[in-house]
Parts: sequence; structure tokens; C-alpha cells
Amino acid sequence: MGTKELSLACAVGALVSVMALDAMAAKKAKIDGKEMFKANCKICHDKGSASGEYTPMTLISDQWERFFDKKYLKAHEGLKMPAGSESEGQGVTEAITPEILQAIKDFAIKHAADSEHPMTCG
Amino acid sequence: MRTNHISTALGCLMLCAIPTQAVEYAHQEYFEHYEGTKTCLECHEEEAKTFFHSQHYQWRGESPSIVNADGKKLGKMNTINDFCTSPRANWIGVSTSPSGKVLSEGCSKCHAGFGLLPEETMTDEQLENIDCLICHASGYRRSLFEDENGQLARKPILWKNQEGLDSVAKRISLPKNAMCLRCHSASGGGPNWKRGDIEYVLSECDRDHDVHMAADGAGMQCVDCHAGEDHRVRGRGVDLAANDMPGVHLSCATADCHGPNPHGEPILNSHAKKVDCTVCHVPRFAKVDPTDMFRDWSKPHYSDELEKYEATIVLASNQVPTYAWFNGITRAQLPGSPAQRNQDGQVEMMVPLGNRLDPASKIHAFKVHRGRLPVLAEKDWIIPIVVEEFFADGDIDKAVRNAAKEMYQVSDPKYVWNDTIRYMGIFHGVEPAANALDCLECHGVAGRMPWKGLGYDEDPLAALLKRK
Ligand code: HEC
Ligand code: HEC
Ligand code: HEC
Ligand code: HEC
Ligand code: HEC
Ligand code: HEC
Ligand code: HEC
Repeated sequence: MGTKELSLACAVGALVSVMALDAMAAKKAKIDGKEMFKANCKICHDKGSASGEYTPMTLISDQWERFFDKKYLKAHEGLKMPAGSESEGQGVTEAITPEILQAIKDFAIKHAADSEHPMTCG
Repeated sequence: MRTNHISTALGCLMLCAIPTQAVEYAHQEYFEHYEGTKTCLECHEEEAKTFFHSQHYQWRGESPSIVNADGKKLGKMNTINDFCTSPRANWIGVSTSPSGKVLSEGCSKCHAGFGLLPEETMTDEQLENIDCLICHASGYRRSLFEDENGQLARKPILWKNQEGLDSVAKRISLPKNAMCLRCHSASGGGPNWKRGDIEYVLSECDRDHDVHMAADGAGMQCVDCHAGEDHRVRGRGVDLAANDMPGVHLSCATADCHGPNPHGEPILNSHAKKVDCTVCHVPRFAKVDPTDMFRDWSKPHYSDELEKYEATIVLASNQVPTYAWFNGITRAQLPGSPAQRNQDGQVEMMVPLGNRLDPASKIHAFKVHRGRLPVLAEKDWIIPIVVEEFFADGDIDKAVRNAAKEMYQVSDPKYVWNDTIRYMGIFHGVEPAANALDCLECHGVAGRMPWKGLGYDEDPLAALLKRK
């Protein structure tokens, strides 16, 4: 086997394993990001909320990345889930588990203000 | 060849691993903040001026291919169609459902402007009304907002997020498929509803769907076929009124594309003299999203899902085109002229001219759209529909009356409902050669060609065999 075939085999192998990982991630994360955003974020960030209105379309995907990586913890540390929430009274950063947060992040990025969408009329 | 494959595989790996980022745009250096079109005008006033005169901005222009245009400049602005009918009656506005869902924002949603009606005279205000980003910026989206004075205008959805807006407004390139498809794929009210062969999937489809635009095909962009000069586009198809570039024809058979004799088989090349390329190479349309085949405005009904009233619309997938002669000229049903009807009594909204004996004619593939529209009784003029309020209240009678008033200044119209028919060319979704129609799909017993309707006594191949 020549080096070319070898690297091709590597590339294909890597490709397959990336796809397998993706499939596994999809299988595990059956959490509905949209519902989770509604239940855990919109509850404090709806239209007219004191803490500001946020929907996925408020930020571009880079800004969402930055928010989840750098700002989320700092901005929400010590805050409690409000009345009306399933986890009322719990700390925000505890009530929203890492898995839920990941699903919310994926949802926000997928529907970010710079995601492509066709315009439907009427 | 092999190294190519390897680098493609590796390239894909890297793309998969690191999603966004990476792309560098020259415009990141050209300005600091995007403050509307005036930011672009600082360097591109000439391009804005050319765009101002285009069909994409004016929605009316020279119409040499409409046999009854009578020298008038036609376009979306002054014609009526059997989908959302007329932008005149529905330029801009918001209608919402009781639960607050936005039902429509007006036809100017698909105008490359921020909401002002296009005018004939060029002014700074008009130039600043052009929305360059809708065709030139990746990831750009806009919506309708009301300002302090209650005036409605379109703005980037990021208008309150300057950092995000600047980022998007600097992602400037020539138009990519996704940008053209922002308007062209969801016209008529839903995905692929109007055209049938311009589906959103063209922004990332495979070769089986479209050999030209697929990434694993020729990887072409809309502009590779359609770009003209000075912001004019080539190709009007069959049922659009204006020619953005009069005299310039877009065809598969020109020398810079395939030429008139692309096949090794002489029999296929001789067919191409009478049968348009797309007839054999686009065997079906509405391959992913179903398309609107019939729209009956006389029968409103409420859609729970969309929370609005709609015309009764028949959607269908995987349609076999209808075949008819076309010589490049179309007859249009224009507003304010008496309805022209075919033998079945259908008002002919847009019909291709041509026949078997006309040397300029070829058989073409069509989506035939049927509809039902109101006709002003004493004049026999077609009436559009004011759709905005109708979506919310379902009062079709009021919607017709308001439209008659708007369009013809008739305040107490008597009207009747009439069936309509429109021929729309099928040009996109060219499939791999292996899927091209074979001899028997046309010449077989249950073939696609309506021989009698096309002017043949019988299947010409059968006739030839009989003679022999
Ligand atoms: C208990 C209410 C509450 C919940 C639940 C909550 N937030 Fe917040 N959020 C706040 C408050 C308060 C701030 C700080 C506002 C300020 O400082 O102006 C904030 C700030 C933010 C900011 C701005 C951060 C910055 O520094 O720019 C974003 C974005 C945000 N939240 C998104 C989210 C998302 C996404 C979720 C769900 C995962 C969420 N929030 C859940 C209350 C909440
Ligand atoms: C400071 C001057 C400047 C400003 C402001 C500016 N441009 Fe440009 N633009 C250029 C130059 C120079 C080029 C040609 C070189 C290049 O492509 O980078 C160009 C090229 C382009 C092209 C062709 C790109 C291509 O890939 O061929 C488009 C489209 C364009 N600009 C649109 C815009 C839009 C839309 C805006 C406003 C958001 C804008 N420009 C603002 C200077 C500018
Ligand atoms: C803002 C919405 C919008 C965008 C974006 C857009 N179009 Fe259009 N396009 C229209 C409308 C509306 C018409 C019909 C105008 C009329 O008939 O008066 C049209 C007409 C056309 C026509 C027919 C022209 C003729 O001579 O009648 C072609 C071809 C076309 N567009 C191609 C494109 C391509 C290619 C792109 C991407 C570079 C594009 N369009 C982007 C809305 C859009
Ligand atoms: C409906 C889509 C559309 C809109 C809106 C639009 N353009 Fe373009 N633009 C095109 C197409 C298609 C081309 C390539 C073919 C051409 O030059 O006509 C182009 C080309 C360009 C170029 C490159 C010209 C060259 O010669 O290479 C510049 C610069 C440009 N546009 C700037 C602008 C500016 C500035 C605006 C807003 C005032 C604008 N465009 C609005 C579709 C559009
Ligand atoms: C391989 C070439 C090619 C590509 C790529 C292409 N088109 Fe076309 N298109 C055509 C031809 C040919 C016609 C018919 C032109 C004529 O007869 O006037 C046409 C017609 C049209 C029309 C006129 C209305 C109609 O459908 O009859 C529109 C609008 C249009 N194309 C939009 C697009 C958009 C948007 C894209 C990209 C998603 C695109 N086209 C990509 C070849 C192409
Ligand atoms: C009567 C049907 C018919 C018409 C009309 C027709 N084609 Fe074809 N075309 C075919 C068939 C069948 C094949 C596959 C031939 C084969 O596999 O050898 C084909 C193959 C092709 C190929 C692939 C050639 C290759 O060597 O792989 C191209 C390109 C092509 N056609 C372009 C066109 C163009 C351009 C036109 C119009 C000028 C056209 N065709 C008109 C039936 C047709
Ligand atoms: C898209 C439909 C279509 C397909 C596919 C097609 N034909 Fe035809 N064929 C026609 C039409 C239409 C005519 C009449 C053309 C004319 O009027 O000159 C015709 C004419 C002919 C004639 C000429 C008869 C005469 O009087 O001279 C022959 C022979 C023929 N076809 C054989 C074939 C063969 C063999 C194939 C497969 C390679 C084929 N056709 C594929 C539509 C088709």
C-alpha cells in the first residue's frame, strides 16, 4: 500500500469516526433545545422582561458561542429560577444541567440571527 | 486525481471539525460600522445607480416578449397573478393573528428595498432604500419594524445589535445561491409553492437533484447563468412580464455552455432542434418541497396550523411537466383589459405562443398553474385581492371589493369567479444524463407527449414506422 492510499484510508477512517461521534451525540441528546430555551431562558428574558429580551435571533452565532463560553456563568451566578418555573427557587446555574445547557446552546446557534432562511411571503 | 480526492476528504474533515469562522472578507477593512445603504454608497454609488434601474428594483421594465404589451413597461408592479395577486394592493403592512403571530408583511418582503415604493426618478432617498445586503451578505436577515411615527420599514433583524450587524454587513461577496433563494424559493406563500423548480435545497443539493448547482456536480451559482451586466439579470422564463436584458437570451445551447449539438448520438441532437433541452433533462419538478398547482381564492378556509385564512391551495410533489410549444413570446392577461379565455373558459393569465409549424418554436416543459380569481362583471377585468386583512379575517368579499377600489377605482363592484391558467417554464433541477427521458418515455404507448395537442396526427415515430 502506497502512502497515498494510506492517507486516504486514514482520512476515510477519520471521517467515519467523526460521523459516528455525531450520530452518538444525536442519539444521546434527545433534549428539545427549543422547549428548554422556553422553560429556562425565556422565563426571564421574554418581551419586556427586566433582564432584557433574548431570543436566538438577538445574537449572531459567534456572539452565542462567546456568551456560553465566557459570560453565561458570570451573568447568572447567584440568580434563582423565578416563580412559574418547574425548578422555582433553585439556582439558575444548578437547575440548568450541562446537558440542558448544551441543547439550548445548539438551538440558539442553529437559529442565530445570521443563520440563513428563505423569506416566505403571505 | 487521487491526491485530489484525498485533499477533498481532508478538506471536508477540517470543515466538519471547525464549523464557522475562517472565511476572510475584504470588506472587514473597508468600513467600521454599517449604517444602512449609505455606508455602501460611499464607495459604490455607481452600482447603486445601476441597480436602481433594474427589474429587481423597479418591478417594471421593457417587455418585448409579451405580445400584447403595446410598448408598456410591465412587471410585478402593474400586473396581476394568480398567486398573491398584486403587490399594488398589498405593498407593506402587518397582519397578525389573535395570538400575535405575524401572518404577512406585504409583497415588498421580496423587494430588494427597505419598504419604499420604487419610483421612476432617482433620488438619494431611493438609492438608500436599496437593500444591498439581501443579495450580497451571507447570513443577512431582515424584518418589518414600526418606527416612532408609526411608519413601517424593513430593517436588519440585528438593528439593535450593532456588533452583530457589522459582522454580517462585512460578509460581502457576489450573490451565493442561498441569497437569491431568500426570495426565489419561498415566493407564493410557502417553500417552492410558486415556481416548482426553484427549491431551497438548491443551496446545498446533490447531483441527483441538480447537476449544475450541486456541490458534487458543477458547483454553480445562480449568477453563473443569470448574471448580466450593470445589475441586470439574464433570463425571464415564460411567465414573467419584463426582460431585464432585452435581446439577451439565456439558453443551454449557446456556445459557451453546451452548444446546439451536445450529444454523440445524432438522433438526440436532431431532437434538440424541436425539443428544448429541459424537456428530456428535467423529467420532474417539486422534487423535495410540494408546489402549488391550484389556488382557489373563492374558497377561503382557516388553517389551524398557520393561524390564518387562506385560499384553498392544492399542493403536489414529483410532478411530470406539461408539454407545449413555445417560441419565446408570451401572451399576458393584463389588468384593465377584457379577459381572454381558452376553450375551457379559463382566463389565460400567461400562455406561451408557438406551434409545430413555427420554426422558432420548440416543445418546452411547463408547470401549469390553475387558479380562480374574481372578474369585474361589466368590464370583464380580472381583480386582484387585498390579502393582508383577508389572512386575518377571512372576509373574501371585502378583500375583492377593496382590491377593485384600489386597482380600478370601482367602489361597488359586481364580480364573478373565473377559473384561470398560467404556464410557467421548468428550467432548473437538471438531473444526471442517466435520468434523461428515454425514447419510450415519449414514443411508448403511455408516453408523455400529448401528440394530438402538439399538432401531430399521431406519434411521429409510429408514423415513420408505418410508412416504412
Ligand atoms: C432567573 C432569571 C434568568 C434566567 C432563568 C436566565 N437569565 Fe439570562 N440573565 C438574567 C439576568 C438578571 C441577566 C443580567 C442582565 C444584566 O446584567 O443586565 C442575564 C443576562 C443574560 C444575557 C446577557 C449577558 C451579557 O453579559 O451580555 C444573556 C445573553 C442571557 N442572559 C441569556 C440567557 C439564556 C440563554 C438563558 C437560558 C439558558 C438565561 N439567560 C437564563 C436572568 C436570567
Ligand atoms: C471604503 C470603500 C467601500 C465600502 C464602504 C464598501 N465597499 Fe464594496 N468594494 C470595495 C472595493 C474596493 C471592492 C473591490 C475589491 C474587493 O472585492 O474587495 C468592493 C467590492 C464589492 C463587491 C464585489 C465583491 C466581489 O466579490 O466581487 C460587492 C458586492 C460590494 N463591494 C458590495 C458592498 C456593499 C453591499 C457595501 C456596504 C455594506 C460595500 N460594498 C461597502 C469598496 C467598498
Ligand atoms: C429581494 C428579493 C429577491 C432577491 C434577493 C433576488 N430576486 Fe430575482 N426577482 C425577484 C422578484 C420579485 C422578481 C420579479 C420581478 C418582476 O417580475 O417584476 C425577480 C426576477 C428575477 C429574474 C427574472 C428577470 C426578468 O427578466 O424578468 C431572474 C432571472 C432573477 N430574479 C434571478 C435572481 C438571481 C440570480 C438572484 C440572486 C443574485 C435574485 N434573483 C435575487 C426577487 C428577488
Ligand atoms: C437582487 C440582488 C442584488 C442586489 C439587491 C444588489 N446587487 Fe450587487 N450584484 C448582484 C449581482 C447578480 C451581481 C453580479 C453581476 C452584475 O454585476 O450585474 C452584482 C454585482 C455587484 C458588484 C460587483 C460589480 C462588478 O462589476 O464586479 C458590486 C460592487 C455590487 N453588486 C454592489 C451592490 C450594491 C452597493 C448594492 C446596493 C446598492 C447592490 N449591489 C445590490 C445582485 C444584487
Ligand atoms: C445552469 C444554468 C442555471 C442556473 C445555475 C440557474 N438558472 Fe435560473 N434559469 C435558467 C434558464 C435557462 C432559465 C430560462 C431562461 C429563459 O428562457 O428566459 C432560467 C429561468 C429563471 C427564472 C425566471 C423564471 C422562471 O423560473 O421561469 C428565475 C427567477 C431563475 N431562473 C432563478 C434562478 C435562481 C434563483 C437560481 C439559483 C438558485 C438559478 N435560477 C440558477 C438557468 C439557470
Ligand atoms: C430527446 C431528448 C433529449 C433532448 C431534447 C436533449 N437531450 Fe441531452 N441527453 C439525452 C439523453 C438520453 C442523454 C444520455 C445519453 C447517453 O447516456 O449516451 C443525454 C445526455 C446529455 C449530456 C451528457 C452528455 C455526455 O456525454 O455525458 C449533456 C451535457 C446533454 N445531454 C445536454 C443537452 C442539451 C444542452 C440539450 C439541448 C440543446 C439536450 N441535451 C437535449 C436526451 C436529450
Ligand atoms: C421528450 C420526448 C422525446 C424523446 C425522449 C424522444 N423523442 Fe423522438 N420525437 C419526439 C418529437 C416531439 C418528435 C417530432 C419532432 C419534429 O416534429 O420534428 C420526435 C421525432 C422522432 C423521430 C422522427 C420521425 C420522423 O418523422 O422523422 C424519430 C425517428 C424519433 N423521434 C425517434 C426517437 C428515438 C430513437 C428516441 C430515443 C433515442 C427518441 N425519439 C426520444 C419526442 C421525443
